[in-house]
Amino acid sequence: MRIRAAVSAALASAGILLVGWQSGVHVADTRSAAAAAATGNQASGTGTTDSSGTASSGSSGSGGSAAGSSGSTGTAGAAGAAGAAAKAGGTYDGEVVQTRFGTVQVQIIVKSGQITDVTALKLTDAEGRSMQISNYAAPILRDEVLQAQSANVQTVGGATVTSDAYLTSLQAALDAANL
Amino acid sequence: MNTQLSPSPGTGEPTRPDHRPAPVRETGRFDGQHRRRLLRADALTVAAWSSLAASIALWLADGGLATTASPAGLVTALGIVAGLAGMDLVLLMLLLAARIPFIDGAVGHDRALEFHRKLGKPSLYLLLAHGLLIAVGYGMAEGLDPVSEAVALWVLVPDMWLAFISLALFIAVVVTSLVAVRQRFPYEFWYVVHLLTYAAVLTSLPHQFSVGGLFAVGTWQRWYWLAICIATGAALLYYRIIQPLRATFRHQLTVERVTSVAPGVVNIEMSGLQLGLLAGNGGRFFIWRFLAPGLWWHPHPFSLSAEPVRTGPDGHGRLRITVRDLGRGSAQLLRLRRGTKVAVEGPYGLFSSAARSKDRVVMIGAGIGITPLRALLETTPFAPGQATVLLRGHSNRELYLGEEILELCRQRGATLFHLTGGRDPGSPNSWLPAAEHRAGYALADYVPAIAFADVYVCGPSRWSGNVLNAARAAGVHEDQLHHERFDW
Repeated sequence: MRIRAAVSAALASAGILLVGWQSGVHVADTRSAAAAAATGNQASGTGTTDSSGTASSGSSGSGGSAAGSSGSTGTAGAAGAAGAAAKAGGTYDGEVVQTRFGTVQVQIIVKSGQITDVTALKLTDAEGRSMQISNYAAPILRDEVLQAQSANVQTVGGATVTSDAYLTSLQAALDAANL
Repeated sequence: MNTQLSPSPGTGEPTRPDHRPAPVRETGRFDGQHRRRLLRADALTVAAWSSLAASIALWLADGGLATTASPAGLVTALGIVAGLAGMDLVLLMLLLAARIPFIDGAVGHDRALEFHRKLGKPSLYLLLAHGLLIAVGYGMAEGLDPVSEAVALWVLVPDMWLAFISLALFIAVVVTSLVAVRQRFPYEFWYVVHLLTYAAVLTSLPHQFSVGGLFAVGTWQRWYWLAICIATGAALLYYRIIQPLRATFRHQLTVERVTSVAPGVVNIEMSGLQLGLLAGNGGRFFIWRFLAPGLWWHPHPFSLSAEPVRTGPDGHGRLRITVRDLGRGSAQLLRLRRGTKVAVEGPYGLFSSAARSKDRVVMIGAGIGITPLRALLETTPFAPGQATVLLRGHSNRELYLGEEILELCRQRGATLFHLTGGRDPGSPNSWLPAAEHRAGYALADYVPAIAFADVYVCGPSRWSGNVLNAARAAGVHEDQLHHERFDW
């Protein structure tokens, strides 16, 4: 009977670990794909802002680069048009900022010239520590930004790198929104 | 002195019984119960190992292996895995100590607590490794030494100071539970420190969910972890607090009278309601709290020494425990007043008919360990001639309840041996009195068919160990051995 227990326990544990490992491989793949997409996005340069001008709050996500290229025809020339769009509101993606702990990119939602929401599309996630810092810094930064309505806010203690990258990306989004 | 009593005439001579075992034909009445019990025990083993594997699978499923590429990542990853496994073991320990009937009925209270104790050190080592490896791993990633990193974690990351406190509490709990340390302090000290386990677990919880990405909001891992933590907490709350309160209010036990059995040994009779629910638990123990000043907070584990007796409608009746003055706690029990209210938890343990696997049964008790056998003998099923009772004591006076047991053996057709006298100082491994030991008697001389019987042993732990070894030597399978410690 002991043998039966030992064998079943070993089989069950091995099975569980195998399933975990398999789904983990899948997660790692999507992560590296996302990282590749992020670098590609940054390389395209002009497509960092998505001034689609719609008031929908739906996040455009990583599709931002494609929408951006069609939405803003020329960064300098379209400034006036983008400014007009900003008064009406819209969703703007910030610049992709590389740090030694991973990439950071934020998205803002603007309604009637007010920042109504800040979403982090990407946050430092190189290692567990960075992830954990991101998890606690992001909500604090978001609240501060919504209150200040600008990128001139305090960086979060212990999360300097993440905060700097966050605010840099945010400033780019604010510029794009002409705020 | 060796007294032998038997229901059939002609076997009363004090000569060595012959060795011819009676032909053994099993009715198989306990086969189903035995098979189910082993199946449950195996299922519990599988569940425990699976939960450990699942805690690591959580991390694997999060793409954990991909983070082990760099040295810093590898150290951090090992730290995370150690933390996950350590917490899983802590939850298993809590469940083993929660007195869940399913676990109790499968392996018994004693063995559940034995596993609980065995897991203590491994879980502490895993939690220590978790703290150290994380500090080193994070430090390597940021170019800090582990101490500065630990300080930074304490100061900068929310909930981490709680995690540091939690680790210190875990160390305190495990160290005070080490046998060497535990013997230096009174039971109450150990008990209070052990209650800190709950504080240790609770202070460790916040950082598990807020720090680290594995249990971030929205992940299924978070739900799994929440579920096992809440389930463990609920099991503890229900089986350690709600059930005992319900039993106490249901049975409304009060001390009826305290009568002397022998010097330092008393029968405590209690009356209460719905005692029929407690019937058939002969041999299993209850935890009693006598609600009198200075006594109420002290839990006493004692078995019933007789089946509950019904005296009126609504299951109104009386039950009895037999208590020997073994320590400060039980000394006060000898002076209990009539009318004292009694809180009760239980029954617990597997020292009962639920553990039977064979038609034949052998009960071997020494000193106050005789009393649970008295209740077991009253109800456990056997045909006349298929049960043997061996009672061991220094003198006849120490064969507590000996008269009652003799009467029960007469009524039910069980063979009874009284084994009295001092032990042989030259042979510490003998369970017999010195005279019988020198004469070369062995267990099989008293019970020729012992290899085909369930053997129940209750007595001081050293002596019980000797009896169990003698039974193993006589060919009794481990599954047929049932024992219970009573020197708490």
